[in-house]
Amino acid sequence: MTDADQAREEVSDFQKRIGALREEIGRIIVGQRDVIDGVLSCVLGSSHALLEGVPGLGKTMLVRTLAGALGLEFSRIQFTPDLMPADIIGTVVLDEGATGARTLEFRRGPIFANIVLADEVNRATPKTQSALLEAMQEHRVTVGRTTHVIEEPYFVLATQNPLEMEGTYPLPEAQLDRFFFKLEVPFPTRDELHAIIDRTTTDKHAVVSPVLSRNQILEMQALVRRVPVARHVQDYAIRVLQATHPTGEEAPELVKRFVRTGASPRGAQAMLLGAKVRALFDGRFAASIEDVKTTALSALRHRVLLSFEGEAEGVVSDRVIAEILKKLPASKG
Amino acid sequence: MLLLPVPLGYAVAALTVIKALRLSISSQRPLWLIGLVPLAVFVVGVGRALFRERPAWRASLALDEFHGLQDRVTTALTFSALPEAERTPLMQAAIEDGVALARQLDPRRAVPIRVPRETLLAVLLTAGLCLLSVLEVRHERPLPPPPSFEPMVMSADDIELFRDVAKELQAKNDDPNALIAVRRFNQLVEDIAEHRLDRHEVFQRMGDLERDLKDNLDLDQDARDEGLKGLARELEKSGLTKPAAAALDEKRLADAEKALRELAEKLKRKDAKPNAAELEKLRQALEKASKTNEERSKNIEERRRELEEEHKSLLKKKGEKPDAGASPDSKLAENERKLEHLDRERSRAERSQKQMSELDKQLAQAARDLMKDAGQSAEDLQQGAQDINRMAKQEASEEQKKELLRKLQEMRELMRQQGKGGKDQMQRLQRFGQRARGQGGSGEGHGAGEEPGGKSGGQKQDGPLRLGNGSGGPSVEIPVPQTVRGEGQQAAGDKPGSGTEPGAGKRAGTGHDPNLAGAATDLKGKTVDVTAAGADTGQGTASSQVIYGAAERGFVGRGYKQVFTDYQTVAEQALSQDEIPSGYRFYVRRYFQLIRPRD
Repeated sequence: MTDADQAREEVSDFQKRIGALREEIGRIIVGQRDVIDGVLSCVLGSSHALLEGVPGLGKTMLVRTLAGALGLEFSRIQFTPDLMPADIIGTVVLDEGATGARTLEFRRGPIFANIVLADEVNRATPKTQSALLEAMQEHRVTVGRTTHVIEEPYFVLATQNPLEMEGTYPLPEAQLDRFFFKLEVPFPTRDELHAIIDRTTTDKHAVVSPVLSRNQILEMQALVRRVPVARHVQDYAIRVLQATHPTGEEAPELVKRFVRTGASPRGAQAMLLGAKVRALFDGRFAASIEDVKTTALSALRHRVLLSFEGEAEGVVSDRVIAEILKKLPASKG
Repeated sequence: MLLLPVPLGYAVAALTVIKALRLSISSQRPLWLIGLVPLAVFVVGVGRALFRERPAWRASLALDEFHGLQDRVTTALTFSALPEAERTPLMQAAIEDGVALARQLDPRRAVPIRVPRETLLAVLLTAGLCLLSVLEVRHERPLPPPPSFEPMVMSADDIELFRDVAKELQAKNDDPNALIAVRRFNQLVEDIAEHRLDRHEVFQRMGDLERDLKDNLDLDQDARDEGLKGLARELEKSGLTKPAAAALDEKRLADAEKALRELAEKLKRKDAKPNAAELEKLRQALEKASKTNEERSKNIEERRRELEEEHKSLLKKKGEKPDAGASPDSKLAENERKLEHLDRERSRAERSQKQMSELDKQLAQAARDLMKDAGQSAEDLQQGAQDINRMAKQEASEEQKKELLRKLQEMRELMRQQGKGGKDQMQRLQRFGQRARGQGGSGEGHGAGEEPGGKSGGQKQDGPLRLGNGSGGPSVEIPVPQTVRGEGQQAAGDKPGSGTEPGAGKRAGTGHDPNLAGAATDLKGKTVDVTAAGADTGQGTASSQVIYGAAERGFVGRGYKQVFTDYQTVAEQALSQDEIPSGYRFYVRRYFQLIRPRD
């Protein structure tokens, strides 16, 4: 068997596992295919996602189901204004042993799980939010003089409610940038709602079983990193990123008028990693421009900051990114 | 292709303007030059399209897009461009995937060669251009008016005058060059008479003839005369050559030739042979004579050299002392004048020497032979006489040419004056010519015929006849008595324009029947010529009577001829002695031309 054959087999296995995972999630979650794929992309890209949607759309359920299907440790933190960093990170407590000896012991907080659901993350104070975001970035927590490594795979899925903004602490741009994708959870369609009602108002309760082991997930994450990206695809992702800046060479008129700051290089990283995952979802060996286009919206929407004029005009970042993708040709010249 | 309509459109516009405005080639040039701009735009555009950098994998991306292959072909191509060692297993798999897909690709459909949008426009413009270019626009170019031919007209009287001149010159001349010139002159007169030449042509031909004559004229005649005079001075010293010397001095070349021949005969004769002293004198005279010209040249050269040296030294002095005053300057100027004079003199002497070289040789030879053999010397003198004969002939020919030249100048002046005088003067001349011949106006059916409508008739001929240029210039008045009126004048007045009227020559009794009846008179008897000379009593007709008679009958008759010759001789003398101002000489000569005796 050649290396190429082996690679083909790996991709094939990846596809099968994803298929199995989708199927298992689908037993609980109705529809939401794009959101599920986005979340999976974040998991396989070793990153984190920010889910935004009105309450009751199954965000928490999605994460819980995912954790169940993946067989990973899961924890949920409900962010409130009085939530303290120690509440999520953990704290040092005085522990009295069987011999009566007292020692200071670090009690891990909910952040020490493989999958963390940070529900309504914008309700906590910036101090608490920053404690979470440090763990997200570094995959470790430092308490006192001790640094505690968080076990891989580590995935934080934060949610926020776009409606109730009063008494919230919107995440600053720098912190938003830490999220790989920002996924918007759409309202279910009529058929989907029928299915949701059927499942949740009867005595039938589906149980999710783990379909992937921890190691398999790590293998899949490694495979994602190995997926090659052709130069023209990478070039396209960079050009899209540059076009989000008002001063960009290929920035469309909409960007020039309504965008204050374009996406950071993390945006291009997110696009390309997401594209690699998408290629593997489809059983392809390399990412394509189409993959980049598919992931661009999730990867860039929280990274493009609109100007006052843009906000006043009611322009949303999704429209700006769609305009860029529409106007930007696949090849330059 | 995108830019092709630009130059085509311009070409159509330019051609439309050219055809519409009927522009000439020179006027079109700016339009075509401006056309270089759109052409350059097109050429630059094509150049840029050909040489611009194209994005990599454009074609494969188009294939991927068309077949919905998610860049699999392009990706495979990109990875295959990498060195094999750098390829990962996934890259290899991607390449193999691309290769497998390549069989399904349909480039023709994926990347069709589209006809540019501008094609139709370009085709339409090209068609328009072709149509415009074949469209013939006719230019109306007015042709220059046909050249009007106005023949040079000269009065019949003048024509006759110049015919006579030509005849006279031809009779006198035997030099081929001079004869050719006379023939040309004659032809010119005939052409004018036949109205074959216009004014411009006449003057051109006269100019040509005059130029040729001047070219042929021996301009060294003065030098030759001078040489002969020098020769005469030396020959005069011997008693034997005195007659020849006198003839040479007076330019009687024929006499000089005769004298030399006689001397040669004398030398040959043994009975009347000159004595030794005379012969010695002759020898010395001949020797000196033969060297005259040479010595003259030498003397001049010597004087010139001395003067030149003096001049140089003066120049040098002046260079050393520039403030020496005005005296050296005036001396220098005088020297320069002298030098110029000597240069001219030397040139004349050289020419004279050249002219006389043959005669000098003969005389030198005669002097040498005289020492040995008088007979041989006589032969040399004969040769010398022949040379003088040659010179005499040459001089005669030169005189004829000069005469012809003079006549040409007169003719030119006459035509100039006639040009100023216009038609009226010409008519007056015609009438005058007829009367001068003693003919009436209708005598030839000619004079009256040219008088338009006879409106002036006899009226016009009252009073004196004025000759002049008719434009206020000097004129000559010819008195005509009131009583003198020929038939012709009356006829002219009575029958205007009757050119068909038979002339006087056709009247009964005055003509000749060409068909002679019978044989010529055959005189069998012997005849004796008897000459009877009339005695001149000195009581013939007075000059005034002759002139008066000429006015009545015309300028004909022997008596008139005699009187005319006398008067003309006096006039010519006056002319030659510069008694007549140069501006009036033409009129004097013209006057005598007009009143010259007619046959």
